[in-house]
Amino acid sequence: MGSARSDGTDGSSGAGDAPVLAAHKILIAGGFGAGKTTLVAAISEVRPLLTEERLSSAGAGLDDLRGVVGKTTTTVAMDFGRITISERLLLYLFGVPGQERFWFMWDELAYGALGAVVLADVRRLRDCFPSVNYFETRKLPFVVAINCFDDAPRYDPEEVRVALDLDPDVPALLCDARQLSSVKNVLTTLVESISAPDQSPRRMASALPPV
Amino acid sequence: MPPDGRDGKWVRRDLGPVVRPYAVTGGRTEPADGEVLDLVAVVVAVGNDSGGGDDPIRQTPEHRKILRLCQRPVTVADIASDTALPVGVVRVLLADLIVQDAVRVVRNRPAVQLPGNDVLKEILNGLRAL
Repeated sequence: MGSARSDGTDGSSGAGDAPVLAAHKILIAGGFGAGKTTLVAAISEVRPLLTEERLSSAGAGLDDLRGVVGKTTTTVAMDFGRITISERLLLYLFGVPGQERFWFMWDELAYGALGAVVLADVRRLRDCFPSVNYFETRKLPFVVAINCFDDAPRYDPEEVRVALDLDPDVPALLCDARQLSSVKNVLTTLVESISAPDQSPRRMASALPPV
Repeated sequence: MPPDGRDGKWVRRDLGPVVRPYAVTGGRTEPADGEVLDLVAVVVAVGNDSGGGDDPIRQTPEHRKILRLCQRPVTVADIASDTALPVGVVRVLLADLIVQDAVRVVRNRPAVQLPGNDVLKEILNGLRAL
């Protein structure tokens, strides 16, 4: 703490002799109500983050634009959490809204991301089709985490994999977005799948603790 | 998620100050240097702690607040969070400071290629230790 002061001597120009801070990001995608907010809160320090939503025809009917000609953006809060891996390494989670009207945010968020988690609700599996398509197209590594809601039917991850037509190297696993241990398993599965490509048994892993 | 609107009014309390976001940028929506900083770009104040700056007109309270946050390396997302300003606004204000040489970018867009296995391993270990 005491060494963080960078303004000590006049000519130091803040060249940063201290270890350089590195930050990486993981996207949390999924349909509305799939549990993104819950997942981010379960594992990270949740922080308020405002971003702009471009008002477009997609918002028609939701946003009354009469008399506000020229207003093209509005402010929205997004799911955002920070995990301090070490003093010089931060991992950020960004919840990306699945609705079409938020798509403009995706490219920016996805650029340079480590990977993504697609949260699936088996009762509304089709809600995560767009996310799966997006990450497949961009070749961004992702895992599908099936959030086991208390009142939702249980499916084998393999059934979900077939339903979503996932590539064999995409891990699919059950999870409980409320539980740290489970969310931890989801994220480690993702990072493992990035660092060790082409080792298949992991895709059958389950993040759901034994009941 | 759109804010809950009653009578079309903004009722969410966490939406920040009741000032149009781009009022603090003087209506500018594009960063002065044209560069869009990534949310996880790391910036830091340049050594000489020039509180006022040579361009007092551009140094609004928001600029100064950001400059203070940049006394140690910090990400764009954290600045936005700590100032309660929308990300787009923070980008514009940060670009002003960068153009003035008051702040520099330590690391902008993370490389397109994945970080090395040592970094991934560090992340893995960090996650497991949570």
